[in-house]
Order: sequence, then structure tokens, then C-alpha cells
Amino acid sequence: MKEQLHKYLCPYCSTKFEAFEDLKDHALAAHTGEPTPLPEGMIRLTLNGDEYQIQVQPEWTLNYLIHDKLGLTSPKMFCDRGACGSCTVIMNGRPILSCMTLAIECDGNTIETAEGIADSGHPLVETYVKHHCMQCGYCTPGFITTAKALLDKNPNPNEEEIREALGGNLCRCGTYPQHPKAIMEAAELLGESEGGK
Amino acid sequence: MSVQEEYDRMIEMEDNIEFDKYTLKDFDQIGKKDVRRLDGTEKASGRAEYTMDVQLPGMLYLKFMTSPYPHAEIKSMDTSRAETLPGVRGILRYDDPDLPEVADLGGHGPTAMAPLPKVAHFEGEPVGLAVAADTEDIADEALRLVKVEWEERPFLLDVEEALKSDAPLAHPEDFPENNLEVEHLEAHGDMEKGFEEADRVLEFKATRRLHTYVSPERPCGVVRWNGDYPEFWLKHQRPHENKRAISSWFEHIPMNQIEMHMLYQGATFGGWTQFYWNQGPMYCASVLAKRTGHSVKYIFDRRGDFYGGSMDEGNYYFKVGFNNDGRILAVEAKGHFSNPQWEGFGPGNHFEDNTRIPNLHAPRKVIKVNKGPNTAVRCEQLPNTMSFTLVMDRVAAELGMDPIDVAIINDGAKGHDMDWLNERKVEAGFTPRDSLKECLEKGKTAIDWDNKWHPPGANKLSNGKMHGVTFSWTHEWDDSCGSGEIAMRVERNDGTVSILGMRCDNGVNAETGYCQIAADELGMRLEDIFYRPHTDTGFFPMCPDSSTNTGVNGWAVRHCARLLKAKILEAATSPRAVTQRGIYPPHFPDIKPEDLDIKDSVIFVKTDPAQKLSVAELVGPSAEAGPLSFHELYGAERHPFSAPLFAHAYQAQIGCYKGFRPKFCRQVHFMEVEVDTETGEIEVSNVVNVNDVGKVINPDSCAGQQYGGTYMGAGRALFEEVVHDPVTGVMLNGNLLDYKIATIEDCGPIDTHLVETQQGYGPYGATGIGEDIATVIPAMLAPAVYNAIGVWIYEFPITPDRVLKALGKI
Repeated sequence: MKEQLHKYLCPYCSTKFEAFEDLKDHALAAHTGEPTPLPEGMIRLTLNGDEYQIQVQPEWTLNYLIHDKLGLTSPKMFCDRGACGSCTVIMNGRPILSCMTLAIECDGNTIETAEGIADSGHPLVETYVKHHCMQCGYCTPGFITTAKALLDKNPNPNEEEIREALGGNLCRCGTYPQHPKAIMEAAELLGESEGGK
Repeated sequence: MSVQEEYDRMIEMEDNIEFDKYTLKDFDQIGKKDVRRLDGTEKASGRAEYTMDVQLPGMLYLKFMTSPYPHAEIKSMDTSRAETLPGVRGILRYDDPDLPEVADLGGHGPTAMAPLPKVAHFEGEPVGLAVAADTEDIADEALRLVKVEWEERPFLLDVEEALKSDAPLAHPEDFPENNLEVEHLEAHGDMEKGFEEADRVLEFKATRRLHTYVSPERPCGVVRWNGDYPEFWLKHQRPHENKRAISSWFEHIPMNQIEMHMLYQGATFGGWTQFYWNQGPMYCASVLAKRTGHSVKYIFDRRGDFYGGSMDEGNYYFKVGFNNDGRILAVEAKGHFSNPQWEGFGPGNHFEDNTRIPNLHAPRKVIKVNKGPNTAVRCEQLPNTMSFTLVMDRVAAELGMDPIDVAIINDGAKGHDMDWLNERKVEAGFTPRDSLKECLEKGKTAIDWDNKWHPPGANKLSNGKMHGVTFSWTHEWDDSCGSGEIAMRVERNDGTVSILGMRCDNGVNAETGYCQIAADELGMRLEDIFYRPHTDTGFFPMCPDSSTNTGVNGWAVRHCARLLKAKILEAATSPRAVTQRGIYPPHFPDIKPEDLDIKDSVIFVKTDPAQKLSVAELVGPSAEAGPLSFHELYGAERHPFSAPLFAHAYQAQIGCYKGFRPKFCRQVHFMEVEVDTETGEIEVSNVVNVNDVGKVINPDSCAGQQYGGTYMGAGRALFEEVVHDPVTGVMLNGNLLDYKIATIEDCGPIDTHLVETQQGYGPYGATGIGEDIATVIPAMLAPAVYNAIGVWIYEFPITPDRVLKALGKI
């Protein structure tokens, strides 16, 4: 190990060099014009449409990164182990549990949270308010992201499909019966706006 | 009404035990559907902030050591390695000189509890040590580096074992004689005579296994010292209680120097008496925050939230005497309850509250065992609803009678019939209505009872499952006790009204309801009223504690709005100001306040509505554009104005703690199930809720408590059970993978209906709903399953293995 520490590693292609000058010559010859490589632990994310470049620790979960480090409060920690859906975010179009995903594995991914869905003017937020889909509200953002991912995939879900999609989201206040109503109404509004185009 | 007259009325309505004498004639916002909830957008967009979300610069994380044994004492502790771990900023041991032996840590009244005890009475109890570190991980690692010498003690998990004469002591410090904390009795009549006269007598036993809150936001809190002044972020139900308790710490902190924040609450459903929900953790956090100069956040993990459960855990022994016509003559209901706080509750109160049953004997034993403390978990009435539903439905089943007929024949109160109850209604100023019948009319139609009810085991469905249907009922309740303080002020510039009062905003949408009351009372537009209860304004409504929202706060809001309206109208007819420059004449000269009214936020003369002035114009602009400025420059006032407009009101009442207070509103529920006799699986396929809430303030909020409570109740009955290992006393399923709560797929359609007989003690005849449904629904699963398969299962939750066992299949 000690020996390796003295070697010079090309940050572009990991080739090892004994002398710094050799590495410099190699980098100029082989990699001029290439974008600067990311240091280890640096990831790039598109979060709610914004580009982020951030240094992460290997043990950080995506939830920790988004909630604790980037300060977005919507991915909520409820069950603490992938059993409740409250920390759901949409990654590359799929709803995933941010508490069960390592941030370091998310390099290059596109992520949406409830904040982003709200800011984009998605009708789900308004139909959720209208139908009282929240009581204490702690689990609500996880439902919003799950529902948005469902509508992205299936623009006209029926009640059974919605119940199946939301089967992994726990709500202790029991707001469940309101969600299909809100999601179907949002689907209708989306359909109308699509039709309008 | 003058301000003085309104104030006199407020005092008159205090400790209310009568119908609302001064109700409104017309309702506009009160009772309206589709009123936009105040917290909606924040919560749907994920921007609602909870205590768990709070992060402050340099904030430390506090974790507690928990006992690996169900009953053990710390003999010695070596924390030296933890102390030197990089990132550890503070360590608090049970023997720390800054820790008092006992402190007021909250509860119903001032308490004397150890902030960090050295004896554990249940596995998982936070004891002995708290560590504050830069991260949660470092705090956890520090706890692992601590060496503890424990003295293990014998332990008990079962109430019947604990009652044996040779049983070890579960809590020798507090109960050195035996494990029976206390025995209570609810009784009237002559039991012997009742059983003798009865055509039939039956006995049976039921068991409710431990279940718990599962509060989505885990127990947590944050403290920061700003010099000598502490600042707190609370996850709790009772900010006023916290402030009182905190004030007694560190010898004394003046109340006016304590700053508190109570953000959105990720639900609690009761609690506040065990360590996780009392202020022991906050006390420890406060000591370490003071010592380290950092803000400190304490957090319990998910497992921590599982210690401490619902106070209906235990065994129920019933003996019932009844006649062949369904009339019940005697009920003996004995409860052996495990660790309930404040001496437990039930199991006989609902027979007193709802029936003419002449003889009742309902003792409860409060028994200490080595599990977490049990308390009111939506809610303390669970032992009562359990007894009531099981007895009423069992009698009907024994006689082959429609349970609805058994309900009607026994409806009454305190051993008396409905005539007696109607006399009480008249005495208290109510117009008697038959609440049970009105609820039944709606409910029977909604469920199609006459076609669906059938003898047990008589309806096999085409999917091969057995269909069952059942009905239960009881009174509608809230405790409506305590004191609610509310203030309102009119904002300058736009004349909008802010309601002031710090309370726990746990999502029942009461805040919107209070705005609806204020809007109708003031004559203002709903959008001109706002209430955000997260800040300590010096006023503390009930929040919701002691089972009260509208029952107390609704009154306080109503009084306050009426006082404010009287002040507005007085201001509109009085000189605006008397200054050294002279007197500024009234907006409405030569008109009396009683000749004015307000509608849509505009003040007008009743006989000549064209003479009008908006509330915004009345109060005028603020600051440099405000009341008297530029007078000298312009030679005249530039804007109309009034004195600042503010009102404060309160409601204080003893409510249900007054002793017996007859309840006149009823609720009925219907449940259908499908039982798979091969797998033992039960599906709750349809539910109908009918609640007579007296007067509806916000129908959508009421419905939310109905379907929400139904889901919670169904989950409790079907799955919810905290399991302890009998050998080690260790909790085995303190997480949401192994402890199941209802998901969206665990209940069929829920049809909700409201009845308004205006027979509640709240404003306009309202009574509560929030606790009721989640509390009534669970016990209904037993009669529903009986109706499906013809076998009684009295062990809750009724899991598939218990169904198969009852069917003799395993």
C-alpha cells in the first residue's frame, strides 16, 4: 500500500506513473480537451431540474443527501428501513426509496421530489389539497412522488391500479380513500391540458 | 351587543353543561363543504416543516443508551472510551451532578420523574446515559464503547402472572408490596338480583394484545441556549405543559424568557407519559446544550417509538345476564390491564353512558409488568368500546336477534331509559332528538342492512370466502375539559384577522375549522381569517389534549370573535383618537354600534347598507403611513384609522371530569368482512360510519376522522401486535416491517355519514369525533368474523393463525 501512495495516478484513466513529470506529459498528450474528471466521491445530479455537483461520503443515503445536506424537507424519514414509502423520490422516472439508496450510486441521475413537482405546476398538488389527502402530512410528499411517477407511466389509472401503486406508502392518519380521487382528478386535468395542446 | 355584554356571556358559558344558548341563526362557512385547508399546499409540496427537519448551525445529535434487559439496575458504568471518541461533545450520566433526582417532565399535572433513571423497568428503556455528538453515527458509536455492569432482576410480561402471590416485583421502587398498582370500580345496581332475574347468563373472556401509536415523525426535539434564554422546538401535543415544566428546570427559568416553536406535528395520537414523549430527553438535551454551547437535537429511532402502547392491553372477563327479548339486566366486566398510566380507564363506562342496564359491576385492575408504559393512544376509551361492542353483539348473537334491536331496547343512560335521558336533555336546554335512531336510519340504508344481515356462517360468497356483517354503536364523545385561550387581532393595512394561540397542529384541520367559526361570527370573509399555531404568542388553546378540540377551543374562538366584533363596531362609532391636536370624529357619527353589522368584511348601517366601510379602511395603514402621520404636513389626516383592534377570550371547563355528564349524541358503524377459511385471512370489505357530531363545523375534516379512524381501527384489529420474547423480555418487532399497520389495500370502501342533532356541549351543539372511530372499529372485527364463520374469536388482533386455530385447522 505504501508503495502505491508514491505513485502518480492519472485522474482521467487511472494509469500509474512513477514521476509527476511523466504524469503531466501523459495528461497533456492523452487527455487535453477532455472535461476535468470528478474526484472520488463527487457526484453530479439533476435535482428538480437544477444541476448539482456535490462531494458525498460512501455511507450517505440519498435521503440524507437530499434532506439533510441539500435542505429539501420533502423526502421524509418515517420507518427508517424501506417499509413506508415516505422518503420516495422519482429517479430517472421511477419511484425509489431514498432511504435505501446510496447517494454515491446516483451519479448522473435525474431526481424529482415533491418540491419539484409542486414548482412545475403539476395538478396533483392542487387535487391533493382539494381532497384532503393529508392530515398530519408527514407521509404526503411520498404519496405525491409515487402518484406522479404512476401518472407519468399510466396517464389514466383506474382505482385498482392506483391502490396497487400506493400499496407501499403508509399513512397512519388513514387518508387512503382520498388518494385515488385526487389522482384520477389530476389525470383528468392533465388529459385536458394535453388535449388543449 | 356591547363588549361588556359579550364578555358577560363568555363568563356565563364557562364550564358549560348546557346547550349553547346563544347559537348563531345563520351559518355560512360553518358546516360548508370544500373549504380549503390551511395546511394543504405546504404539506402536499413537502415544504411543511416538522421538528425532525430542524437543523441549526453546529447542532449536536443526542442519543440515549437503552436497557438490554427488561428489568435491571446499573451498578457501574465506564464511559472513558466514549468520552475520548472524536466528535463526542458531551456525555450525561445518571450520576451527573447537574441532573436532579426528579424533575417536572410533563404529564397531566406537574410530575416528579427522573430525567435519566438508573433502573430500567423494560427492555429498551432509555436509562443511565445520553451522548451528544457531531453526528448520529458518532453518538451511536460512543454508546457502543460504554461498559455497563448491570444487575439483572426477575421480570414479568403477563398480567395474570403478575397477580400471583409469589410473583416477583415488576416495579419495586414504586410498588414494593405487589404488582397491583390500583383497583377501580364502576358499578351500580344489584348484580346478584340482576343475574337471578335474567333468563340467560353467559360468561366469556377476551384478550387485547399490546399495540401502539406508530407516530410517523419519531420522538424528537431541539434545544438551543441564547445566553440565559432557552429556545425549544417541540414534538409534543401540549406546548403549555412543556413551558410550565421547562420553567421549573435549572432552579427556575422565568416563563417569559422561554422561547418555543411547535412546527407541524407528524401525529402522536395521544401519549406524553412515557419517556419518549415526556420531557426527560429534552431535560438531558438542555443540560448538554448549556454545557457545550451547541444546539442539541435528540432523536429516537423507530424502535424507540414502539415502547409504550395503548392502555387497552390486557384481559377482559365478562358475565352477562339478559332476557330473551334482548334486554340486558346485568353486566359484569372485569379488566386486568397492563401498565396503563394514570390508573387506567374502563371497562364499564360505556354501559353507564349508553344503556338502561340496571346492574353493572366493572372493576379494573391496574397491573405493573416489565413492558413499556401504556397510555391513551387514540384513545383511552378503547377498553370501554371493547367491552361494549363484545357484550352487546354477543347477547344479540346468543338470542339470534338483530343486534340493532338489542341496541334500541337497551339504549338509555346510567341504568335509565330514554325518557329519563330525554328529561336530562330538556333540563340542559337541548331539544330532544333520538340520535341513535337518526344514525340508524342513515346507516341501515347505506349498508343495506336488511338484505345483508344473516345468521352466522350462512353466507358463502362466489369467491369461496365467508361473508360476515356486523353493527356497533356507542355515544359520540369528547372530554371537552381544560382551558382554551385564544386571541385575535386585526392587521393594519388590509384588515385581515389573525387568530393567535400556540397549539399542536397534528393534522386534524381544526385550525381551518376555527377560521370558519371566526368568519361566521365576525361577518368576515373566510379568506380574511388566518391561523398558524406554531408560535408562542402567550395564548394556549387546548391542543388537542384531554381529548378536546372544538369542545373547548370552539367556544374560545367564538367568544373571541364576538368580543372582537363588538370592539370593531364600537371603534367604528367612537372617536378614532383623542390627541393633543383634538378629537378625530367617528367613521359612523351619530350611529350606535348595535345599528351596524359586518358582512363580507365590510361594516354597514343595517337600515342603510349603502353607508359602509371595510374593516381594512377602518383600521387604516400602518407605521409612517399610519394614523396620525403627515398631519402637520398636509393639515389633515391622510387615511381613516382606528385604535389597534385586538381581543382575547377563553373557555375553561371541567367537562367530563365533572362526574357523570350525560351524552346525547350517538354513533353507529357497520362492517362487512370476507373470511377465507382455508388461509384464515380476513378482509374488511366494506364499512359504513355514521356519527352524530351535534353540529358539523367542517364536514371534510369530520369525514377525515371517519375514514382515517376506520383504517387505523381495521389495522389494529387485523394485525397490530407488539410481541415480546417470553424468555428474554425483549421486544421482537419494533419496526414497520414486522409490525404491520393498515395500507391502502387493507380496507374496502368506507362510506361516511354525519348526523346533526345539536345535542353536544360544544358551541352550536357540537361534540367531538377525532378519537371515536379508531376506537370503536377494532372490537367490531370479532362479531363480524363470528357472523362470517360462526365461531367467536376473542383474541385481538384476529390474525389468520387465530382464525385457523378457532376453526380447528391448526
